[in-house]
Amino acid sequence: MTDESSPHRRDPIKSSVGNAAAQRRRQNAASVGKERRESLMRAKRFCRVGVSTAIDDNDDSPDHDMVIDEEESILEAQASSAVEELKAAVAFQGKGAVQKKISALQKLRRLLSRSEFPPVEVALKAGAIPLLVQCLSFGSLDEQLLEAAWCLTNIAAGKPDETRALLPALPLLIAHIGEKSSLPVAEQCAWALGNVAGEGEDLRNILLSQGALLPLARMMLPNKGSTVRTAAWALSNLIKGPDQKAATELIKINGVLKAIIQHLKNADDELATEVAWVIVYLSALSNMATIMLVKSNVVQLLVERLASSNSLQLLIPVLRSLGNLVAGDSCTTYDLLAPGHEITDSVITVLVKCLKSEHRVLKKEAAWVLSNIAAGSVEHKQLIFSSEALPLLLHLLSSAPFDIRKEVAYTLGNICVGPVEGDGRPKLIVEHLVSLVNHGCLSGFIELIRSIDAEAARLGLQFMELVLRGMPNGEGPKLVEQEDGIDAMERFQFHENDDLRNMANGLVDKYFGEDYGLEESSS
Amino acid sequence: MAMDVESSSDERHWFPYWSSDRRRFHPDSPFFAPGNIERELLAKQIALDITEDERNHLQNLADEPYRGVFCPIVGCGASLTSLMNFEDHYRARHTSSCSVCSRVYPTSRLLSIHVSEAHDSFFQAKVARGFAMYECLVEGCDMKFKSYKDRHQHLVDKHKFPNSFEFLKNAHQSKNLRQKTQRKRATHKQEAAANAMEVENEAVDGLVSAISRLSTADSTPSSISFGRRHTRGLTFVPRSVQRERSSESKQ
Repeated sequence: MTDESSPHRRDPIKSSVGNAAAQRRRQNAASVGKERRESLMRAKRFCRVGVSTAIDDNDDSPDHDMVIDEEESILEAQASSAVEELKAAVAFQGKGAVQKKISALQKLRRLLSRSEFPPVEVALKAGAIPLLVQCLSFGSLDEQLLEAAWCLTNIAAGKPDETRALLPALPLLIAHIGEKSSLPVAEQCAWALGNVAGEGEDLRNILLSQGALLPLARMMLPNKGSTVRTAAWALSNLIKGPDQKAATELIKINGVLKAIIQHLKNADDELATEVAWVIVYLSALSNMATIMLVKSNVVQLLVERLASSNSLQLLIPVLRSLGNLVAGDSCTTYDLLAPGHEITDSVITVLVKCLKSEHRVLKKEAAWVLSNIAAGSVEHKQLIFSSEALPLLLHLLSSAPFDIRKEVAYTLGNICVGPVEGDGRPKLIVEHLVSLVNHGCLSGFIELIRSIDAEAARLGLQFMELVLRGMPNGEGPKLVEQEDGIDAMERFQFHENDDLRNMANGLVDKYFGEDYGLEESSS
Repeated sequence: MAMDVESSSDERHWFPYWSSDRRRFHPDSPFFAPGNIERELLAKQIALDITEDERNHLQNLADEPYRGVFCPIVGCGASLTSLMNFEDHYRARHTSSCSVCSRVYPTSRLLSIHVSEAHDSFFQAKVARGFAMYECLVEGCDMKFKSYKDRHQHLVDKHKFPNSFEFLKNAHQSKNLRQKTQRKRATHKQEAAANAMEVENEAVDGLVSAISRLSTADSTPSSISFGRRHTRGLTFVPRSVQRERSSESKQ
């Protein structure tokens, strides 16, 4: 996470460094492309600029700028020598020892934060970790703690084995996020821990067993200023599971729920975003958290954010939180979002807004939420059926990218199908089915049948069955035939998937058997 | 609506009906991947100076869960690179149609086996004289059988085909109606497309040029004759022609 409040810091990253360097970059592009791609998608964040202005970078030289020009070997040599210098400084007992340490730490920190591909491996090989751990000892000057934590943050931001190298430092990092620490120190340590937690389940478990959850959670309480954002981000990495234990633990901590509510309500977009991600994991993993969140009016706040914000970064986790709450607990749909309640209408409205968005993720996940609401009571189905969502859904079914069409299909199908009846088959809501078919949804479903995705094909076939069985006056088969449905189903005769083949064959056997079409179909 | 065919067992009409259920996903689920990737991209955008190109490329990576899949038609296994590719591939490779009875087969080999078995009296003559004429449908197996039933049993026993699989009967629409519909459809498409007085001739010209543009032999009917519309040979309208006529509303 970069400090965006100091504009002059941005330029160095984008500064032009002449043709030679640019050429070299292009040459290296292919080989580093993969590495860069991976680094972009990891849940870890590199610290390029300090967490606070507490650090006085009195060096206004070109050293400030991105070290793009440097050859890798030069950087590595510098890293090696910086670690050597640190080693000497740590060993030194005499006067000015502290300054020596801080100076060495700064050198190392700059190497690890200015270059695009910092010399982490070399630094580790030279023995940086034990030295950094020593620099984290209790009673050290804040500036020293800050620099050491910053180095560790960036070491942990890279490859898995580099992140794991931080193991010896963890207990101290956790200790320094306690309430007695200065805020910048706590924040930088939280950042390092966030990177470690983002690496994998085993590291998360280690952090949890070392007691990282409680102090990190406390950092999220409202009166803590800018560190809250980093803490929230680190927390989201820490509780992301796959085990639900941490999420459940978190919601039980005194003051956490209240803090989450408060931030969701009042915070700026950036903080609200990180808090929303915490809610995403709480609601996806922990049933207790889901229930508590719903009870404390979170849904209303989520709806308000969805209505008022246009920041994609914020909308994604807010929408997903809503989706998780609806998916996770039937009470949400049946009690809170009962048809007729004002909040229910607001939910539909913001979901429609997301469906209209140009962003694929929002459209897809909004359709998913709607599909779950449509899986509720018959009144819910009627509600969606008669809302402004319906024409949108029909349009999306024929025009949107595949993953969105699939979610829309779930919604439309759910609208037509009620609870299971006596004969073991779910009740068909004929009125809805007829209307949807009359609006031309059949071709969209048949398109899904033709898809290579087995789940989509299955969905299409299931809808086909509804149409064949449920359209009044035996119109179903004719309609299906008109849309090339028979052809789509016959493709499965030579299909590898047994399930789909049997479904398709079964339908064709039953509705398009030998006698089909021989009788005058004017009955 | 067709009468229920008397079936020997209920499984024939077993069906997993649409069930309206809530769907919940674990945070790790691939369902959430595009949103997760978007999160990281947005967070690092400024820090790492991501170019527009890079961004699109990364998004595409995330959006392509269907890369590296294989065609699911039995015996094909062709490697496909995307979702859209399957449709193109299917139309190019798996839509051989019998010019006599309009049944469609996914490979030219199966089509030719069908033609022999269903429309060739010479074939029937040899069967009557006791030759093993019924080939195993699985390419590379090379077994031959004296009766349809024996071959069927072989498919079930050796190749795990479902018992209900019927090679001969697998165009489920009655022959008469199918031809009627195909002809109607062919005419309808021709009329709609040509949009002029001399409908049939123009359309036939269009068909001819379209056929000449087809990329594989598989979608060309084994016999074509041109002229008035009730000619048998023209019952098959290549799907690529039909598609061109109708508007594509998808990406």
